[in-house]
Amino acid sequence: MDVFGSFTLLLAFVCAVYAFVGGIAAILTRHPLLVKSARQAGIATCALIFIGTFSLEYLLFSDNFSVAYVVSHSNRDLSAFYKIAALWSGQEGSLLFWSFLLAVYVISVLIAYRHKNGELMPYVGVILAGVQIFFLTLNNFVESPFRTLAAVNASGALEPFVRMDGNGLNPLLQYPEMVIHPPNLYSGYTGFTIPFAFALAALLARYPGEKWIHLTRKWTMIAWCFQSIGILLGAHWAYAVLGWGGYWGWDPVENASLLPWLTGTAFLHSVMMQEKRGMMKVWNVWLVFCTFLLCIMGTFLTRSGVVSSVHAFANSQIGPWFVSFMLLTLVVCFVAYVKNHDYLKSENQLDSMISRESSFLFNNLLFLVACIAVLSGTLFPVFTEWFTPSRISVGAPFFNKIMIPIGLALLFLTGVGPLLAWRKTSTDSLKRNFTWPLVAGAITAVLAYVLEYRNAFSLVCLFLCGFVFWTIVMEFYRGAKVIAARSGMSMMMSAHELAMRNTRRYGGYVVHFGMVLIFIGLAGAAFNTDVQKTINIGESMKLGPYTLVLQSADTKPEKNYTAERMIVEVLKGNKQIMMLYPEKRAFQGRDQQNGTMVAIYSTLREDVYVVFAGMDPDTNLPVIHAFLNPLVKWIWLGGVWVVMGTLLALMPNRRAALVIAGATQPAASPVAPALNPSVTLRERHD
Amino acid sequence: MIKRRSLFVLALVVALGVLPLVAQQQQADRVKAIGGKFLCMCGCGQILTQCNHVGCTMSAAMLKELGQWVNRGDSEATITQAFVQEFGTTVYAEPPKSGFSLIAWAMPAVYFVVGAVLVLFVISKWRKRPQAAGVDAAAPVTASGAKISQEAMERGRAQAARETED
Repeated sequence: MDVFGSFTLLLAFVCAVYAFVGGIAAILTRHPLLVKSARQAGIATCALIFIGTFSLEYLLFSDNFSVAYVVSHSNRDLSAFYKIAALWSGQEGSLLFWSFLLAVYVISVLIAYRHKNGELMPYVGVILAGVQIFFLTLNNFVESPFRTLAAVNASGALEPFVRMDGNGLNPLLQYPEMVIHPPNLYSGYTGFTIPFAFALAALLARYPGEKWIHLTRKWTMIAWCFQSIGILLGAHWAYAVLGWGGYWGWDPVENASLLPWLTGTAFLHSVMMQEKRGMMKVWNVWLVFCTFLLCIMGTFLTRSGVVSSVHAFANSQIGPWFVSFMLLTLVVCFVAYVKNHDYLKSENQLDSMISRESSFLFNNLLFLVACIAVLSGTLFPVFTEWFTPSRISVGAPFFNKIMIPIGLALLFLTGVGPLLAWRKTSTDSLKRNFTWPLVAGAITAVLAYVLEYRNAFSLVCLFLCGFVFWTIVMEFYRGAKVIAARSGMSMMMSAHELAMRNTRRYGGYVVHFGMVLIFIGLAGAAFNTDVQKTINIGESMKLGPYTLVLQSADTKPEKNYTAERMIVEVLKGNKQIMMLYPEKRAFQGRDQQNGTMVAIYSTLREDVYVVFAGMDPDTNLPVIHAFLNPLVKWIWLGGVWVVMGTLLALMPNRRAALVIAGATQPAASPVAPALNPSVTLRERHD
Repeated sequence: MIKRRSLFVLALVVALGVLPLVAQQQQADRVKAIGGKFLCMCGCGQILTQCNHVGCTMSAAMLKELGQWVNRGDSEATITQAFVQEFGTTVYAEPPKSGFSLIAWAMPAVYFVVGAVLVLFVISKWRKRPQAAGVDAAAPVTASGAKISQEAMERGRAQAARETED
């Protein structure tokens, strides 16, 4: 099966090269057969990558310990659930998994648009094939996951060698979220390839209008949604597994995942300027280019060893490959821009400084500043090594100081944006729109102060959360009121109807609401407290209003590890709240590596977070490290709302059904059917 | 007189009992505050006082060392110097606000200022720009190949805006 897997990947590489070269020939000759064969080669590439990936999974499931990758990342006792995750737990497998996810996107695009956008698609196919060639080069010639073990025999010759068992999966990865977090994050990274391909293709082909944006809007949102889920799941994994009491440590690998998310979010906002006003065309194209490059850079940072991280893969020699690919992509983008920049000329003018257009410009500025600040902070240790004799670290305190003000400013704009009208906002309208949200913000801040959340940044954050929340409520209320008055439906039904009529806009507001919840959770971080104590069975420790009593300890043998478990009773006053079971796990294989399993009692107000930190070497008694983390649950709840909002935004508008019916009518004006029936316009601009 | 003396003795006993506890708490707080400015040197990249991952060989020793220096009454600058001497500049959790590291602190502000100036410049340029009229070479085309004039585009957009916005 390892030979079969290698062969399919090699064949996939050949097909990708054909799709690339054939695609270029098709663009130059415009020969329909060439166009078709290049597209078919692209589809074949994807199918072969799927087969190659399943071959590696088969090797993992069949415990084939003649393959080096299987030996390094699996063992016989590893459960089936984690054997799936073993695919992306190592460098070679995760690169193949990247190719696999990219292939899912590529095949979807090639099939979905096989009869549409005939002028654009050959360009898209070539660009996608180019990206696939890069990753297949790594899969085949640099980091092949199908390498077999070999040993030197008595005569000095190499012969195949089979190990009895493998080293097992890294204990840190043996956690349910680790099975779903990387696929989500990678789906985000790879998903941004699609808008990139369309943007570059539109630029190269001088494709008219904003069509490429309409075509890629949903792909961008899907990639963004996956990236958001991946980041949040990663944060939750760090919180529940690493046992340091936090969820975001500004680790280089975490930062790498945040960078394309920031530019992707900026793009999702600025794209509205192009759709509604025909502005920011150059900016949007470059935002998409940068987002894609940052995805590649994130992968490069994780794998090259340039920055040290607890999440990073083992150092390897793939760094120069990534740098070369990034430089080549940058050059291609730059040349395409220089040759065709006149095609990106803005059509409209700005009427007023106080307008939604301006708020989008500042929103984009802040996202970009955040992105560059995180990027330069992450790479600063590398720069210091180049320019000074020693390396200087940049840790969480630096990023917190820099990013908190930027985050608050973005939260402020989240509230301000919807209150400003396109083109121009009058002073009266400003007064009318801002009064109640400001009052709501002030009430929230006072309430927070009374509840003893007394920290300057937290109070500002909670004030802004109240402000933004009220702007969202007002947006729904105003629209629902009109529908309720016309249709006689209840306000709730009207709000639902409203959201379904313009899913993108109201889905966006739901996402904003999710962000408000996340910011409430982040505001709580200023009040985290912790206690670490060595305690005997029957003894207790205080943690804020809670008392933790160590009731007993036991050992729980499992198939792949043995857990040492502390049984901790949580009391509030004299009332028993619940029992917590923090664990320390000793895994088989991997030189008896250990892992933690944090126990959390989570409420909307706070989390009681208990870690069994090991045995005290002096007293041989258990050490319990307990944290009281206020408002953390709001972050995960916010994440759920962000996903729900994105899903809503991805749904077709209810009136879109009318559009299709209307669009079949013959055009009545030379301006084209797109501008004649009003319902069609709604579909295009919502 | 006796009453006053017994009150004084009581106050002294309370003070002697409470003061060490207060001092101990203050020292623990100081360890936490100073420890928050360094990274654990095991390679995990976490803040020294937060690193408790299983199998860490460094954080306990570093915290012990830090505790000894704090108990001895060493200043933060002395402790920082000692840590940097022992582990190098990688021990900093955030770059010092001096020398080359100052760049790290200044850059985000520079990005923002430059970006804001650029945005304001773009806004003023766009405000001054006259409305384009007529059909130009870069104008979008319909499916049949006919060029759509700026005016028609503008009319269409205005119509869309009316129907989709407040």
